[in-house]
Amino acid sequence: MSDAEQPTETDPDGEFNPSAPNTGEKFEPVDVFPDSDDFDLRPGSDSCYKCSTCDTNCPVAEVDDEFPGPKFQGPEQWRLKQRDDEHEIDDSVMDCSNCMRCDNACPAGVPLSQMHNTARGEYVSEQMDKTSIEYWRNRILSNYRTSAWLASKLPRLANVAMNVTKEREFPEFATETFREWWDKRGAAAGSKERAQAARRERGLPEDADKKVAYFHGCYSNYNTTEVGKAMVRVYEHFGYEVVVPEQKCSGTPMFANGMLDDARRHAEVNVSSMSDLVDQGYDAIASCTSCSMALRQEYPELFDIPGIDDVAANTFESLEYLRIHEDLQGELAEVEVSGDLAEEFAYHAPCHARNQGLERQALELFRDVDGVGIEDVGESCSGISGTYGWKAEKYEKSMEIGEEMFEHMEHAEGDTGMTECPTCAMQMEHGTGYDIRHPLELLEAALVDGRGV
Amino acid sequence: MLTPNGDKMASAPHIAVIGGGSTGIGIARDLSMRGLDVTLVEQGNLTHGTTGRMHGLLHSGGRYAVADQASATECIEENRVLRDIASHCVEMTGGLFVKRPEDTEKYFQEKLAGCEECGIPAEVVSREEARAMEPHLAKDIDKAITVPDGAIDPFRLVVANAASAMEHGARIETHTTVTDLLVEDGEVVGLEVEHDSGSGKRVHGTEGGREEIRADYVVNATGAWAGRIGEMADVDIEVRPSKGVMTIMNVRQVDTVINRCRPKGDADIIVPHETTAILGTTDEEVEDPAEYPEEQWEVDLMIDELKELVPILEEARTIRSFWGVRPLYEPPDVGSDDPTDITRDYFLLDHETRDDLPGMTSIVGGKFTTYRMMGEEISDHVCNQFGIDADCRTADVPLPGSEKFSVLRDYMDEFGLRSPIGRRSVERLGSRADEVLKTTDPNPVVCNCEGVTRAEIQDAIEQSGSDLNAVRIRTRASMGNCQGGFCCHRMANELHGEYDESVARQAWDELLAERWKGQRHALWGEQLSQAMLNYALHATTQNRDNDPADGEPVDFAAFDAGSTPAQSSGEAGVAADGGTEHGD
Ligand SMILES: Cc1cc2nc3c(=O)[nH]c(=O)nc-3n(C[C@H](O)[C@H](O)[C@H](O)COP(=O)(O)OP(=O)(O)OC[C@H]3O[C@@H](n4cnc5c(N)ncnc54)[C@H](O)[C@@H]3O)c2cc1C
Ligand code: SF4
Ligand code: SF4
Repeated sequence: MSDAEQPTETDPDGEFNPSAPNTGEKFEPVDVFPDSDDFDLRPGSDSCYKCSTCDTNCPVAEVDDEFPGPKFQGPEQWRLKQRDDEHEIDDSVMDCSNCMRCDNACPAGVPLSQMHNTARGEYVSEQMDKTSIEYWRNRILSNYRTSAWLASKLPRLANVAMNVTKEREFPEFATETFREWWDKRGAAAGSKERAQAARRERGLPEDADKKVAYFHGCYSNYNTTEVGKAMVRVYEHFGYEVVVPEQKCSGTPMFANGMLDDARRHAEVNVSSMSDLVDQGYDAIASCTSCSMALRQEYPELFDIPGIDDVAANTFESLEYLRIHEDLQGELAEVEVSGDLAEEFAYHAPCHARNQGLERQALELFRDVDGVGIEDVGESCSGISGTYGWKAEKYEKSMEIGEEMFEHMEHAEGDTGMTECPTCAMQMEHGTGYDIRHPLELLEAALVDGRGV
Repeated sequence: MLTPNGDKMASAPHIAVIGGGSTGIGIARDLSMRGLDVTLVEQGNLTHGTTGRMHGLLHSGGRYAVADQASATECIEENRVLRDIASHCVEMTGGLFVKRPEDTEKYFQEKLAGCEECGIPAEVVSREEARAMEPHLAKDIDKAITVPDGAIDPFRLVVANAASAMEHGARIETHTTVTDLLVEDGEVVGLEVEHDSGSGKRVHGTEGGREEIRADYVVNATGAWAGRIGEMADVDIEVRPSKGVMTIMNVRQVDTVINRCRPKGDADIIVPHETTAILGTTDEEVEDPAEYPEEQWEVDLMIDELKELVPILEEARTIRSFWGVRPLYEPPDVGSDDPTDITRDYFLLDHETRDDLPGMTSIVGGKFTTYRMMGEEISDHVCNQFGIDADCRTADVPLPGSEKFSVLRDYMDEFGLRSPIGRRSVERLGSRADEVLKTTDPNPVVCNCEGVTRAEIQDAIEQSGSDLNAVRIRTRASMGNCQGGFCCHRMANELHGEYDESVARQAWDELLAERWKGQRHALWGEQLSQAMLNYALHATTQNRDNDPADGEPVDFAAFDAGSTPAQSSGEAGVAADGGTEHGD
């Protein structure tokens, strides 16, 4: 929702409309100077009428008295700022966890998270000491592959040298990554065969136009490979051909740490491989709500990469997509879940799922399924927000934010949790000791494994 | 009274200056620095007149470089001086004269040549260069000329001049109206004034009073009102007041002054000012400088015309509009029909030679940018009357706040302020920042839109008394996008301690009324939402829609004290403040 355009701009109707809500559909970057992250977001402050609703919804402001809150961080800071480099960004922007709840709370469509992300990027590139431990800790933390691998090998080092909290244990790495599994399974060609078989069984034309490109993200590749596998099996079950294109981290942890250059590099790879596929009629599917958020909202807000708008418009979260295109409810009414996943789930909706309007999807889907129960643990933030809760100095606040969710989980029936977000899952497990599952796993159990029950 | 070399003069002439705009205050500073005894009277706040209602452009002279080269040359000279002596009031934004395809090449070339002739540094830039400087410029402009235009804060400049004059012994009386001139034996010998609330700092509720101020010489610097003062001594001063509208945008769409490069016309300039951008203006003759129609079409015209240069303006948020009247003067024999043809030059009217009325001179016309030069000329003239030979030092001695200072500080460490707030505060306070902001008391932000803290508000109250509009112009508090919705009551609250409830209430009412005035012309889009929210907030939390406490003093004893808890001593009033858990 920003306003200016490149001097060579071609989109005639990409105009600034301060009164339109921040839908994530029609963004136009103010990338005036090619290859710079020099955005002018001052006009975004036009929509703010200072009501403070964003402040009252910010989980960090609630527990951290030093944090001035999203209203200051966003519209006020941008309005007070000037375009010249001498106008500094306040360092408190590093305390924002990028949960994006403020975005959702604002009644006026102020592009708050875009303002925070851009300010953070500017802060890190212009003002942060590149030799500080904090910089490198953040940089390593935001490169998940490196940090998780390193820490799983050398946990003490991570805690001591990097100022990463020692209260948390890094998740275990799977012995076989999702991609290795995928290749063994026959990759795209194998998927096509299985999809065709499924279509025959469903009485669909064999060449039905059902194809998706899976954005698995780091976590389901290295750690919870069962989520990735569930995605493939469920989609194939509905007759979708799945491809798993070349991809890098979605960039979510990098946005939160102001590492916009790193994020851009990764985004370029992701957009380029996804946009080729989108051109060929594929839709992009993510099983992590932060990944889908990055592709559909943060990318076009922050970067100007060819094809980015098409990718954004064709990206979906995995359950969301199936709920749009398939009769999930109908199929689920026919089955009864048994075995491992016949549980009462305490469901937490990730903040980033809220931003995409997805906070009710798992509840609506599973509440009437035989053999399982599901209960919403409320709308509080889990408190981990990706890398935020890993930082030694933020750990206590992170747990304080999560307290409400932990309590509600304890009160819920059963002792299994459910969420779409891998880092929320870590926090849920950390705070309650529960086993945490992804909705796709339950869908797989109900529809793929559960068939014939 | 001091002689120019610092000795005390035996008897310094006492000069009464009428008018607390840039002209009057410039004269007061100059004369007092030369050792004369000065009293300045102003009917409202400082900047109450045109000075508080102007565009804020520190002219490079570029605008006059074709049609009025004498003015242009004065402007560039004074532009350089003010950057020096008033650095905390000036932002050197630079300026552009932008040529659109429909503007003539001939005029563009004349402008360029004119600048050169007047010694104004000017350079041609291509469309691409201009758009790299100002990305919001329209895509179809042709090219532009760069000039050293700047932005200047008239409030801060006038307040700093007043502070300097007072340091040199001047007496400055605001809210003091000249009701008559004292004329004895055909000579002006002083003023009759009426104080709105006693003399000195304004305190609401204080009884006013009349005073005769006797003076050895009177200077009439009342701008558009000069004719009214003249009438008091039966002399004719043909000021032709001409109104102009300015519209304030919520944010700075441009960081450079943007002028349209064409001969003359309405709505041809955008000046970035602090957090905002100001569009202007029009030129239309009016009868009465205090009472003239403010019309919506004038505001529409600003946006319609200027969006040709900066298209984003069409959709951008407008926070208010205001009008000012130019004190244009032309010698009786010229007789221009169109006010835009009247010269922007200033005139010194010595009533002794002109009207056979010794003891008074009027100064009319001119520009804000050249206020100091005007002050110098009239001060020379006044000194001549008394045979005093004293040098003018106003071009060399920095104004209070503009002594050497740097805005680049560690705001958090030094003042405990978040960086954009610290930065804005230091920009406003200049070299006074340490004195004002280094406080051991809690220093919360009072006005969030403009980043004004309690310490700065308290400093302003100390300077100007209980007048919150005076606090506003000193600090910018309540001048941001909520237009006082969230801070007027906090500002009033800052009067507590020094002033009682009824004083604070009157000051608060005045501030709200003033804030509302300019917003009436911006009630659409976001500012309409803002006004609705402000109204709801003020009505539901502050009784602003209908306050039973307005008017008659409140009889607090008449309030129900609530049910008295059995175990307490039954002290009346305990429950009224919600202080006990037993109250129901
Ligand atoms: C729309 C507009 C835009 C302008 N923009 C610019 C610009 O960008 N740059 C620039 O350099 N110039 C600009 N000017 C010109 C500039 O504003 C004026 O030339 C200048 O401010 C005049 O100052 P002054 O002190 O002469 O008059 P004023 O500021 O009007 O001061 C006269 C004072 O006398 C007081 N007074 C009147 N009668 C009495 C009385 N009886 N007793 C006591 N006090 C009395 C009034 O209250 C008033 O405060 C602009 C003018 C207008 C109208
Ligand atoms: S993104 Fe979350 S933590 Fe950051 S300001 Fe918004 S609500 Fe607060
Ligand atoms: S919720 Fe939106 S409109 Fe309200 S203060 Fe926050 S940014 Fe401004």
